[in-house]
Formats: sequence, C-alpha cells, structure tokens
Amino acid sequence: MTQASAPRRKVDRDEVFVEFTKSICPLCKTPVDAQVNIRDNKVYLRKRCRDHGQFEALVYGDAEEYLTSARFNKPGTIPLTFQTEVKDGCPSDCGLCPEHKQHACLGIIEVNTGCNLDCPICFADSGHQADGYSITHEQCELMLDAFVASEGEAEVVMFSGGEPTIHKHILDFIDLAQARPIKNVNLNTNGIRLATDRTFVAELGKRNQVPGRSVNIYLQFDGFEERTHLEIRGRDLRTFKQRALDNCAEAGLTVTLVAAVERGLNEHELGAIIEYGIDHPAVRSVAFQPVTHSGRHVEFDPLNRLTNPDVIRLINTQRPQWFQKGDFFPVPCCFPTCRSITYLLVDGDPGNRTVVPIPRLLNVEDYLDYVTNRVMPEAGIREPLEKLWSASAFMGTATTEEQLRATAEALDCADACGIDLPQAVKDLNDKAFMIVVQDFQDPYTLNVKQLMKCCVEEITPDGRLIPFCAYNSVGYREQVREQMSGVPIAPVVPNALPLADRLTTTPYGSKTVHAEEGESSS
Amino acid sequence: MNQHPTGERMKACCAAAYSSDVVSLLLGDSYHPGGTALTRRLADALALTPAARVLDVACGRGTTALLLADAYGAEVDGLDYSPGNIALAQGAAQAAGLPGRARFTTGDAERLPYPDAVFDAVVCECALCTFPDKARAAAEFARVLRPGGRLGITDVTIDPSRLPPELTGLGARIACIADARPLPEYGEILASAGLRTVHTERHDQAMLRMIDQIEARLNLLRMTARDKLTAAGVDIDAAPAAFSAARTAVADGVLGYALLIAERTAG
Repeated sequence: MTQASAPRRKVDRDEVFVEFTKSICPLCKTPVDAQVNIRDNKVYLRKRCRDHGQFEALVYGDAEEYLTSARFNKPGTIPLTFQTEVKDGCPSDCGLCPEHKQHACLGIIEVNTGCNLDCPICFADSGHQADGYSITHEQCELMLDAFVASEGEAEVVMFSGGEPTIHKHILDFIDLAQARPIKNVNLNTNGIRLATDRTFVAELGKRNQVPGRSVNIYLQFDGFEERTHLEIRGRDLRTFKQRALDNCAEAGLTVTLVAAVERGLNEHELGAIIEYGIDHPAVRSVAFQPVTHSGRHVEFDPLNRLTNPDVIRLINTQRPQWFQKGDFFPVPCCFPTCRSITYLLVDGDPGNRTVVPIPRLLNVEDYLDYVTNRVMPEAGIREPLEKLWSASAFMGTATTEEQLRATAEALDCADACGIDLPQAVKDLNDKAFMIVVQDFQDPYTLNVKQLMKCCVEEITPDGRLIPFCAYNSVGYREQVREQMSGVPIAPVVPNALPLADRLTTTPYGSKTVHAEEGESSS
Repeated sequence: MNQHPTGERMKACCAAAYSSDVVSLLLGDSYHPGGTALTRRLADALALTPAARVLDVACGRGTTALLLADAYGAEVDGLDYSPGNIALAQGAAQAAGLPGRARFTTGDAERLPYPDAVFDAVVCECALCTFPDKARAAAEFARVLRPGGRLGITDVTIDPSRLPPELTGLGARIACIADARPLPEYGEILASAGLRTVHTERHDQAMLRMIDQIEARLNLLRMTARDKLTAAGVDIDAAPAAFSAARTAVADGVLGYALLIAERTAG
C-alpha cells in the first residue's frame, strides 16, 4: 500500500509565551534577551547567550498566581536622588539609575567580608578569609548619607556582611545610623556572638530603647536537624542559636528567624521553624528565603528549584491546621512575584495554638489591587495594609506595630457590636507574628522586569544603591570587593547542574568559568 | 446585616444568634462573599451602560456603589439601614471625588424611598436573605425599576430539607445567614413580583471563603473578647464542628452562594 503523501501536520508548542524581557548570561553576565513561558502551570525563564548557549530556570511555581498577582503592583515612588545615569540600560547602570521604578524600602550595608563561619551556602562568598575588606567609620557614614539622601527619612537599614557582629566597630555603626533619620536598624547575623557575648547583646538592647529608634535581629536559622546545620552552615550551631535567642529575649530584642531553604536539605522543617518561632518569646517573625544561587552554594537543578509558591505550599502542607492557600499575599511595593507575606494573630499555649492569618479576616486583594480598583471607600485600610505588605515591614519596628493596630481598628464595627476591638487588640500586639517568603534572583533567574522595581538595595562604599539581586548576579559584588580589597575577584557563576563541566572552584568556594571555557568562548 | 429577621424558621434556628450584635462582627459590615471581583461580574452581567441609574440596596459602606460609579460610569443611589454605614459611605464618596455620582440614604429595603420606575438597574448583595418579608422587598425592587430594567442579586442559598443538625446554634449563624432560600425559590419570589430570572450562576467558592472569614473573626473575638462571646451565648467549643459541617454542606451543595439576574417584565 502506498502512503499517499499525507499532508504535514502543524504541531502546537507545549508552552504559553507570556513575556519578552532581558536577563544575563549566567556564565559571562552579558545582558541577553529572555522569554518567560508557562508549562504545566509553572513559570520558566529562558534565554540564549551567543557564546554560551541556552539556559532555562523555574522562576515561579504557580503560573496562575504569577499572572493574577500583576494587579497587586503598586506604582513606585521616586527616590529623592539617583546615583548614576542611564547609559547601557538595565542591568548595567546600577545604581540607582533614573529608570529605576522604586525607591529603597530597605538599604543593606555589608560591613565586611570576613566571617566566623565558612558555610557551604553563602551568597556573599564570605568566610575566614585574610584578603577581604572591612569598612571604616568614614565609609559607613558615606553609605548612610547616600541612603538618607535618597530616602529623606529612611525606614530600615540592615547591617550585614560577612558577619557584621565581628566587625569591631559595629556598635559605632549602629550609633551612626541612629544619629541619622533612619528609624530602624536590622542586624543580620549568624548569632554566634549573640550566644557568647552577653555584654554585646545588652549594648544592642540599650540601642533598641533609644526613643523613636529600634534595633532588631535578623538571625540565620535554617532548622533543627544536625544534617541541616552541617550541610548549610558546616557546623552544628543548634545550642548557639538557642542561647542567642534566649539572650535576645533577656535584652528585649525582637528577632526574625531567617531560613535559607534548599531542596533536599531543610524544606521539610518550615512548619517546625514557624512553630518554634511562635513559641519563643524573642521571635516575632520568620523569613524563608529559597537559597540564592549566587556566591557559594551546593549544586542545584535550575528547573527544579524552590520558588515562593513552592515554599508556601510546603508551609501549608506542614501545618495544615494553621495555613491554607490564600493566607500569603504578594507584596505590592516590589514586583509582586518577588515576595509574599502573611501576618498571624496567635493565641493559646504551646501545642494548643489558635492561629488567625490576617488575610482571612478581610479581602486583602480588594484593597491592594492597583489596576482594577481605583476607588476604595475604606482608605483607612489600604494604607496600613500597604505598609504591612512591604519590604520595609519588620516586627519590632514602631511602624509595623502601628499598622497592625490600624488594620485591627479598621476591622472594627464599633457602632454595631459594642466591642472595643482596638482596645482589645492592643493586648494582641505580642500575639502578632509575621512570615515572609522571598525568592531572590540569581544569574539564572534574573529578570530585569523585576529588577527595575526592586526595593531592597545594597549600599556600596562609593555611595551607590544597587538592587540586591543585581549586586549578587550581575558582577557588582565582585567589582566592589575587588576595589575594596585590591585582590582580583573571579566572576561568580551559579553551581548549576547543567554547567557542571564548565566550572571550576574559586579561592572562596564559589564557582567560576573554567579557564578553557572562558578562552574558547571569548 | 441590616435587618433583624423575624420569620418563623429564623426564630427556630437563629433566635439566640440575632439577639446579639456579635453576629454583625462575625459577618462584618463591609464585606460580602466574592468581594469586588464578584461585584464586577454582577455589573458585567447587568450590562451597565455609562450614566445608567443604579440603586444599591443594603449598600453597606458604599464599596459597590463607588465601584459602579467609578469603573462603570453609573449614577448610583446607595441605601442602607445603618446610619453609621451611610455616613461612612458619604465620606468615602467625597474622598473619591464622586459625591455627584454616588448618593447615599438611610432607609428600609421594604419601603424604598424612591419614585416608581426610575432605575435602570437594582443590585442587592448578600442581603435579600436577611430581609424578613422577601416578597415585599422584591415588589419594591420591581416598582423602582423601569420596564426592562435589571435586578442583580448575589446571595446565600440553602437547601433547608438537607441542612445537617450541626448547623443549628452557632452553625445557624453561618448557615442561615438569616433566612436564606434555595436558588429556585429566590426566582419564584422575584417572579411573583414581576421580575423574570434571565441568568443564574453558582459561586460556592465565595461561600467557603466566607466561612473561613467567619471562623477567623470568631477566633479573633475569642482572643480579644471571650467574655462577650460567652455572654452572647456563643458556644465556642461547638464552633469547630459547626464550621466543619458548614464546609461539608457547601461541598454537598446544601449551602452555597449564587448570582442571579432578573428583568422587570413590561406591564
């Protein structure tokens, strides 16, 4: 039988093309065109470098939410100053350049590169390194002044590193921040010094009492299993963490537990971290950050990485009696897919808690919809919700506590029910708990669309404000370290499975392009 | 809630609940199931044209009225039983720069303070179920609508014959958010008033969301005003079983939420 030449059939693509954008080549960091596609209700970013080929990464684990959250995108606020000019376009002109869409909700100052740990996972590539740098008083002042010049009155500055608590002038730096119109200081730490130096903790506690100012602790806290500690931190730090928290409680310091979450390592410990945080008197919030595949990290599969919806699903699965889909809400000040937050009201005793996620009490989406709802009668609710669902919201700050109170007041029906809820909710203040899920971008996942509205900025010693994910992905971190230390720094490349045979290890443990690869492609 | 129902069945299942204003805190004044997303769906189904005259019965704090005035260009009258809500709505209309296009009046749904046949559309969200004399309210809707004008309703639906026993007491407050009826019965009530149903949709997901919200509010009250809940006769210990029964009732189609569009027949 002869096959009469059957007409050739056209075939449909297996994905929905939703965005054309820009990214960078994860190997040479050259800006390249990129596309965002949806397959099986997941969102992927794909790009091609002329010299290094094609790369693809999972960027959001729930396509439906990726699309619907677009309307929770708040118009940005223009900062008072820009530090650079538009020349080569995003992400090469940081920053901030006049094309940037948002001011800095949070400024980060890395005071050093040195650390008293050598964690297998560290986006800053820090450790016991003799060839790094520490900033001086003058540099710190210049950085703080750059932040204030940009913000006017700034909400939060975070001191980070390296390990900021081993910088011998860290308390001076906090004083310098408090002497400026910067309301809150956050100290991002592994907790070793907090566990071992109670005088230091007391000094922090004292600064937390300064009127109109607060000092809060952002404590690295990845889980409870020995393996989690060894694989992420290289050391079993469980007793240190416990002691650090107890010392903070004693000094009246408010703590956020910050967990770096990696597939196959500690993704099963999220619920336990939340419960532990709720039970510990010093802890008022938890931040979950899928491991940023910048700097030093364990090998990962870009197509099977953790994204915000994946983390939220894990939380819901691990504490189903407390959480369900919809309890987390995307943050409108940055791109809504970058960060999701929920607030809880918690009552009862350990083991027998009543947990009320605030998004169940009111339709947050009706108030934070900037595209379809232009007029909302209850303006008194939108503003506090905006401040709560923001990158500058931290428990322990006066602003966040005030907005929680305002939200509770807005829920009131004083004329109808006669219960003075605001009064009652004042007693609730200790019962409010915050959970943040933030997926930072890396050289694989970077999408300039998100980057252009980033509101978390690294303040550099030369007084620039560089979006955190650009700083870690595009090569700015390497440039700053090289300038500050005088030691050449190799461009860092993600330790991604598909790149394995093209990478070699840097002196700090991160990966860079193999010399031959670099030559053959340049 | 803006009326205190007095129907026979209400007395049987909700008397304790409605003797207290705790119910209004549980249900909230400013929220109806489905939120503004469902309101938009309702407005689209009504095919509102710019400058259409619309009446929002039981308008609460004016959320829907302002949305219709702003996004649909409608000229809206809002009516609510609560003077407090009306004051809030008027303030919001001022703040939104819409006082000319959204007016608010205190009044009774069963005696609408408007002339005959003046509105192109009437909307009523999550409120018909609370009106004790539904036939009377329906007749009022029909009276103020011009011939061919449309009524848009979203409301709680129940199948009373299959209501589980747990949904009495506290559960009643969730289930019979007042005097809800099966969807066809709403249609019959409206038909008797000369309002012909042209379209219905189920939105039971909105009901589940409302149950979540009521449970969250009850837990909030438990934290902040436990003694008032007790004084109001709310059996907190019975709550989990009632919420669970309510969710099952939604899954079984016994309890739900629906959207209905009816048209005033000429003559």
